[in-house]
Amino acid sequence: MLMPRRVKHRKQHHPKRTGAAKGGTKLAFGDFGIQAVEAHYVTNRQIESARIAMTRHIKRGGKVWINIYPDRPLTKKPAETRMGSGKGSPEWWIANVKPGRVMFELSGVPEDIAREAMRRAMHKLPMKCRFVTREAGEF
Amino acid sequence: MSETKIQAESRTEFGKGAARRIRRADKVPAVLYGHGTDPVHITLPGHETMLALKHGGANALLSIELEGKSQLALPKQVQRDVLKGFLEHVDLIVVSKGEKVSVDIPVHVVGEPGPDSLVVTEHATVLVEAEATHIPEYIEVSIEGAEVGHQVLAKDLELPQGSTVQLDEDTLIVNVTHAPTTEEVEEELAEAEAEVGIEREEPEEEAAEGVAAEGESAEGETQSE
Repeated sequence: MLMPRRVKHRKQHHPKRTGAAKGGTKLAFGDFGIQAVEAHYVTNRQIESARIAMTRHIKRGGKVWINIYPDRPLTKKPAETRMGSGKGSPEWWIANVKPGRVMFELSGVPEDIAREAMRRAMHKLPMKCRFVTREAGEF
Repeated sequence: MSETKIQAESRTEFGKGAARRIRRADKVPAVLYGHGTDPVHITLPGHETMLALKHGGANALLSIELEGKSQLALPKQVQRDVLKGFLEHVDLIVVSKGEKVSVDIPVHVVGEPGPDSLVVTEHATVLVEAEATHIPEYIEVSIEGAEVGHQVLAKDLELPQGSTVQLDEDTLIVNVTHAPTTEEVEEELAEAEAEVGIEREEPEEEAAEGVAAEGESAEGETQSE
């Protein structure tokens, strides 16, 4: 699963959830993509599950790009622990995704297969997403 | 490429407040510059500009009619709302007939490659120098029957007369690579699923066999009792 090999600080503050994506809002590599419509934290497990769902559907036909990286740690305190005594231990790695961000890209398959593959992948993601294509114009 | 006429108005107020008022009135704030002239701040009609950019693509040639004068221009930068896609601002660069300009032209891959191959477009757009009034809409690259290892380089691109590619001639544009085999994909996915902890349901036949085997063993247990 995606996660940084080494970090400067093991525990960080929660990333901001406000605002829209500043970059990565257009298709850069593939012909089809999944664009986030809402802001959400996406864990490395969710990213991997979405990739697996997509790859299982396209089988061996296409190429998948992942444009987000889970580089922010979130911590959790153990169950039935009293408050205090410092911050919990790192539990998840997340990517802070803002609306407009193109998270996955796909090429090398016809549009109908890409649409279905990405629909399956969207079910693994925590936020509302949409399917985008290069031919639609804005991209 | 024929030019699209757009009636522009001169803009006198600036800043986010004024820009938002303009957008609320279904217009687009824009700026026109180039050829060493001072920038001219203008307002374009929203719907006509959107249609011109939609049909003409990113390199639509526009004829801006401003205060009785006409000026040819190309979109230099188009800012859109990331979610709704409406135009927020347009930068226009002044061009004249016969002038050579550098623009990004999209690459269209056509044809079916050979078996067991995967087509990867390394450059979706190519920087091309062309006459402002004769900008190609797209560059077609045929990969009909292309075998694994086939590469389309910048020097292989076929452009209309008067247009030249402004990339290194050995720049890779389209690459036909070997598609992974079903076994390779299955193996990679099985590893990934094991790491994430995804448990797949057994195929129906195997599941049925498993149930039968359990039934037999259960019967054996009852008999022994």
